[in-house]
Amino acid sequence: MAGGQHPRRLERNIAYFEEPPERRPPITEIGALAWVRANLFGSPLDTALTLLGALFLIATFSFLLSWSIGAANWYAIIFNLRLFLVGRVEPFMDLRIAFLFLFIAVLAGVNFAAWSRIRRRLWAILAASLLLLFIIPWLITSAISLPPTWLSAGQREVISGSITISPLQRVAFIAGAGEEVAFRLATPADDAELARLNSFSDGMANTLRNAAANRLAGERRLATVERELAGDRLTDRQRAAREAELERADIPPPVHSAYELGAHPVTLTLRSGDGNAEVISQTVLPGDELRLTLPQDGWYVLEKRVPDSDDSIALLAASGLYPIFDRSFIREGERVFQYVRATDRLLVEGGRPRDAAGADLPMLGIIDHQYRGERPPADFLRLMLAPFLQQLNLGLTLFAAFMAAGYVAAQWLKQRDRQLEMPLKRVRRSAVWLWLVTIPLAFVLIAGFGEGGALRASDPQLWGGLLLTLVLTVVALVVAFPIGILLALGRRSALPVVSAASTLYIEVFRGVPLITLLFMSMLLVQFVLPGLGGPDNAPYRVMVALILFSAAYLAEDVRGGLQSLPPGQAEAARALGLPGWRITLHVTLPQALRAVIPAMVGQFISLFKDTSLVTIVGLIDLTGVANLIASQTEFQGLRRETYIFIAIIYFIFSSVMSNVSRRIEASGSGAARA
Amino acid sequence: MATAGNDPLSQGTAVSQMDDEPIIICRDMNKWFGEFHVLRDINVSVAPQEVVVIIGPSGSGKSTLIRCINRLEEHQEGQIIVNGMEMGHDVRNIAAIRREIGMVFQQFNLFPHLTAMQNITLAPIRVRHRPRAEVEADAMQLLERVGIPEQAHKYPGQLSGGQQQRVAIARALAMEPRIMLFDEPTSALDPEMIKEVLDVMKELAHSFMTLLVVTHEMGFAREVADRVIFMDEGRIVEQGSPDHFFERAQHPRTKLFLSQIL
Repeated sequence: MAGGQHPRRLERNIAYFEEPPERRPPITEIGALAWVRANLFGSPLDTALTLLGALFLIATFSFLLSWSIGAANWYAIIFNLRLFLVGRVEPFMDLRIAFLFLFIAVLAGVNFAAWSRIRRRLWAILAASLLLLFIIPWLITSAISLPPTWLSAGQREVISGSITISPLQRVAFIAGAGEEVAFRLATPADDAELARLNSFSDGMANTLRNAAANRLAGERRLATVERELAGDRLTDRQRAAREAELERADIPPPVHSAYELGAHPVTLTLRSGDGNAEVISQTVLPGDELRLTLPQDGWYVLEKRVPDSDDSIALLAASGLYPIFDRSFIREGERVFQYVRATDRLLVEGGRPRDAAGADLPMLGIIDHQYRGERPPADFLRLMLAPFLQQLNLGLTLFAAFMAAGYVAAQWLKQRDRQLEMPLKRVRRSAVWLWLVTIPLAFVLIAGFGEGGALRASDPQLWGGLLLTLVLTVVALVVAFPIGILLALGRRSALPVVSAASTLYIEVFRGVPLITLLFMSMLLVQFVLPGLGGPDNAPYRVMVALILFSAAYLAEDVRGGLQSLPPGQAEAARALGLPGWRITLHVTLPQALRAVIPAMVGQFISLFKDTSLVTIVGLIDLTGVANLIASQTEFQGLRRETYIFIAIIYFIFSSVMSNVSRRIEASGSGAARA
Repeated sequence: MATAGNDPLSQGTAVSQMDDEPIIICRDMNKWFGEFHVLRDINVSVAPQEVVVIIGPSGSGKSTLIRCINRLEEHQEGQIIVNGMEMGHDVRNIAAIRREIGMVFQQFNLFPHLTAMQNITLAPIRVRHRPRAEVEADAMQLLERVGIPEQAHKYPGQLSGGQQQRVAIARALAMEPRIMLFDEPTSALDPEMIKEVLDVMKELAHSFMTLLVVTHEMGFAREVADRVIFMDEGRIVEQGSPDHFFERAQHPRTKLFLSQIL
């Protein structure tokens, strides 16, 4: 019975009149610190895993970051954004797709108003990030100047390893009126400086750079060998091998002096148009700079000569001249040639300059004038990030603006109906109606009908990219959903024929791989539905396969939901005298669907991702576009960049879907069963 | 067959044309679950406005008996005649019979995705095809009758067990049945909620409705029932007025059961 301990048996009551003060918990038990302690460093194993995970993340991300800034060629995406988004659809589709895009934006706003609330802080964050999308590119373009393009001039050939190359005498480029171009002679002090040359460069400049780098590497190797021979650590055989290597070694003279780089003046002649009208002709001395303002939009031809020496090569740092992407496509039955400047998408249509004999002049094309060497972050920002953001900012801002408009309109409706019993109900009902309207609207806008007019039919073969992926997913979903429900009900039917047929269907389609189904549908659908034959209708045949496939899986999900319901639900409905189909419609099905939302969304997401398989039967969906781009000459081999980009797009859409499903699950309306 | 009620009012005003005609008749009824003989030779008739309480140990078939009366279970032999219509395989007959019968379950079986109001109005709107506004006004009256008008727009998950069961009673009443079946309506409730449900049931018993109640609430049986039926192992062992039944039970099985629960 020591102090503080209570006696085992109390003689009388003990009352506590003094109230202990209320205190805050210790600082280590609340807020971020407590979270870190509990979740990251809870136990020694936990700590080890945290550190290991952090190391792994840092290693992966630092590699990815340095690669995407220093080496990746994001032009493959910047220049093909349209292809990624809508494929090769006809130009008249642009307006229709834009309309659909903005309609969905309004719808998204209405949905936010109906089912959740956007906090003021979130609006501020959204507005700020959109503003940043405009400010960041503006800051980058005004603070960072474009890197020069390295051009070579001269009469002699350059040999580096097995490559022999001679400089181009003339090269054509495109520019706009009022733009300033400048030329100066590069005078590298030594080969080290030459080897560090980066930015866009023609074949010769690149060869010189490689030659310098190779010579430096050879010198370093020789120095190593000599140091080893001077020491006493080598065996006799090693020593003999090193001596033989030393004897064989043939280090060429320094590249910058061998070709007398920057020692001789260069005469530049600039002609405009198709190469006839002379703009300027001037000799640039070492240390000088030639600067001039261009008179008109369009093609220019630059002639470069090193007049007083046959032995020298000149390197020109040219600003204002940038590589061009050339492309051609069919527009209204005619082939159109387009030339697009890499740095700012300045565009020229029509033919390209020809020489007197009518042959094409060599062009400052992106294939021969790629960015070479290590890319510093400043060039990444100026050449890659700023143009990319500039392409996105208008579309995203319009989307946000229309979403805000839809949100505000729905909020106003809620305010107006405040005195009604359930103001939300009306907004929600209209949101659902809007969604139901969207699907046929989207179909009309994308597929179109008839020959002429604003809504004329589009060629399904040209649908591609994200558009095709979404069309396939949404159509498969919307059509497969009711079929899946019917199959689920059929499988549970008391009639043996119905249930056997449903079961057979489900098991057959779940037992065949989707790829097999896709190939089969390409060949077999036209026998059942003759209207869907021919190459034009390939997307529709693929849709049939996707619908049949996902209906089987959805049916199993829905059946799971129906089975999870307590039998009392149907009994209560029967006791109330509801006929069987009304029990299904009003009592069991709504509950079953709600119960299987997670499974169905999982099914939807996997359907969305599975559409990438249509590439195999020749459709150019998002994945198909990635393959298509990697096979273009100017983007050859750029698979890493394109796949990373489409992976991000797939991920964004999937995470939006699973986010919506989490919201539906969490939302009130009877989701939680008592 | 006596309707020895303890409520003189219900006796006095029970003068419908079918007063002497039983509203429910079970004649030589037998039911099996597979090989298991659940109900054996059941012979019961219930007069209009009679309150019958069925008691018995679990597994004695009392729930199955009332579930047969509205065809939630199918009987295999004998006859069930409700309001002059025989329960058979004729779907129209089943629908017509169910129209006369409301049922309240042990687990409430409210539809969790619908509000209390929607639970009540679903069947009148969809089965009786009555106008929504009228049905909702009636539903509101029913909710007032069971004492929870303020819960009309809540979902079952937001209500207490007692409130849910009262909504379930209102839902059954909304179809304006002549007979109400109660299948252990208070067994899933906390003790303090049992009273609020029993009060509603007592009020029903005094309002000229035919009630068949399966329950373990002996106090209710004693106070409200016109007749108590004791079942064991699928057969009716003993029946009688509450006074007689509780004070002077004759069958040893009844005596044993009563001695265990009282």
